[in-house]
Amino acid sequence: MKNYGVWVGISLLLFSLFMVRESLKYPYYGEYGPGPGLFPLWLSGLMGVFSILFILDSLRKNNKIMFSEVLPKGAALVGVLKVVLSIFLFIIISPFLGYIVSSIIVMLILLMPDFKWKISLGTAASVTVVLYVVFNLILDIPLPTNMLGW
Amino acid sequence: METIQLLMTGFEIALSWQNILYCLAGVSVGMIVGILPGLGPSAGTALLIPLTFAMDPISAIIMLSGIFYGSMYGGTITTVLVNVPGEAASVVTSLDGYPMAKKGRAGVALGISAIGSFVGGVVAIIGVALVAPHLVKFALSFGPPEYFALILFGMTMVVGLAGKSIIRGVLAVLIGLVLAMFGIAPSSGDIRFSFGQAFLIDGFDFVTIAMGLFGLSEILLGLEQQMKKPEKPPKVKGLFPSRQEIRPSAMSIGRGTVLGFFLGLIPGISSVVPSLLSYSMEKRLAKDPSRFGKGAIEGVAGPETANNSFTGGALIPLFLLGIPSSATMAVLLGAFVLHGLQPGPTLFVRHADFVWAVIASMFIGNLLLLFMNLPLAKFWAKIASIPFNMLFPIIIAVSIVGTYSISNSLWDVGGLLIFGLLGYVLKKADIPVAPIALVFILGKMMEESLLQTLGLYNGNFMEIFTRPISGTLMALSVLAIILSIIAGMKNKKALLGDSEV
Repeated sequence: MKNYGVWVGISLLLFSLFMVRESLKYPYYGEYGPGPGLFPLWLSGLMGVFSILFILDSLRKNNKIMFSEVLPKGAALVGVLKVVLSIFLFIIISPFLGYIVSSIIVMLILLMPDFKWKISLGTAASVTVVLYVVFNLILDIPLPTNMLGW
Repeated sequence: METIQLLMTGFEIALSWQNILYCLAGVSVGMIVGILPGLGPSAGTALLIPLTFAMDPISAIIMLSGIFYGSMYGGTITTVLVNVPGEAASVVTSLDGYPMAKKGRAGVALGISAIGSFVGGVVAIIGVALVAPHLVKFALSFGPPEYFALILFGMTMVVGLAGKSIIRGVLAVLIGLVLAMFGIAPSSGDIRFSFGQAFLIDGFDFVTIAMGLFGLSEILLGLEQQMKKPEKPPKVKGLFPSRQEIRPSAMSIGRGTVLGFFLGLIPGISSVVPSLLSYSMEKRLAKDPSRFGKGAIEGVAGPETANNSFTGGALIPLFLLGIPSSATMAVLLGAFVLHGLQPGPTLFVRHADFVWAVIASMFIGNLLLLFMNLPLAKFWAKIASIPFNMLFPIIIAVSIVGTYSISNSLWDVGGLLIFGLLGYVLKKADIPVAPIALVFILGKMMEESLLQTLGLYNGNFMEIFTRPISGTLMALSVLAIILSIIAGMKNKKALLGDSEV
């Protein structure tokens, strides 16, 4: 099955079924009127119906979107993966290395192959320091810190 | 008389030196957001919301709304000079603006669009100042059934105008509504769908959703397209139209102002619609339509004016009813809520100083933009030549720290990643993402008004049709759906999905 649209539809359908099941755990109608389960149940149910319609629509000849058309290849794929993994990496390392080091590492990963290391490091360090000053020192937002406190 | 007095009080607040500075900062950032491809006004505004946490609500909204209308001006410059529309509404301007620049008339194109934008923006704001106070009484008579019907009507407009098909539009709306159901239930106070996780108790954060769906997903898609390096901007000289062009330009500006303002009143219309309609109207009314696409000045003046006038008109549903007209308006609405302001008719009564100060700041902001726009055109065009490879790591770094600062939690950064990927996957399936954010912000309000309505009528939903206002709005919603189904069948719909991101 190489139809991308169908798989997106199936994923949305599964999510809506899961939400229908979860919605049933809350009262549909309470003692004093409609309960917290009413609206989510209707919405999830409708989402399921429209997911099926979407799957059927994606099977129509003119609406077919194949994986081969939408999946990035080569450098584009590497670029997309790098962005996703670098944000994920930030989530994992920042509680240990602190904001400054983690942010510089993430930016270096994203900048390095396209720019010389001096430019990459300069950009990464200056952007990180500006953000640190604005958010941490001026706006007083406690950013993740390392053992040394930064 | 009272309106003038209130407006004067608004000016007094908006003209304090710090508010002028915030306004200047907002419109400058807005210009940059409008100029840079890959960062639309919705993402740009969402990105800066965390910066306003420590500010007082008036200054915060003055700055954030400055980003919104500033981006409209900014998009024009790069469109005319280097044919790179920084935001979706500018695409229409490129049809005649860029050919004008090719003919050595870049200055005139920029001049007329700045004048048109200024006139459209200022007249629309005057319209808001004059009309809104009279509508407050009307809006105050809205009960839960009217609110429910109005939100539903707004959503049907979003669906009707969104994307490839009505199925995709409805699906996007439903995804947004289901996401809004996470967190505390409005009537009972139950915590829904938290799955025992503390970070889900309050549900998803709007800023995270907006930054993921608009910001990160655009970057991911941008990485797949080979961004071509913009060409060298041409010289900007002679900002005013020739004597023969003054009359047609003035007429286009007049028509664009009226069109944009009234379209702004309709919830759910994206900013591309007024530009597009104005362009086709100008083309239809022109004596020689063949000039269009080759550098007709009306093709720049009309859409640019309509675009900015729309921005002003859209403030009425936002301020009066708490209904955003576009994705960026939804982000502004999110900022209202974050700053403890409940949008709706009571906003005008309880926070009159806030509303009038923001309106007054828009006069000032439009004036600032007029002066910043033309003399600095070359400088702004230079910003557009920053390579995307350099730009996107900076946007990601700002997004990470911005989402983290919402509640000092790495879960929000995770949310950014998840919603970024969701936007990326859905856009590839031609499912528009703008409606998701738009309805997410309205979801709880819609649920609350529905539950109150059902409570009022002992569970009989059909009673909603018996009240004059809610009945009319429900009928209009049904009509909008039928019309978009017919339009879909005839396959004549313009592809306007995700137009404002």
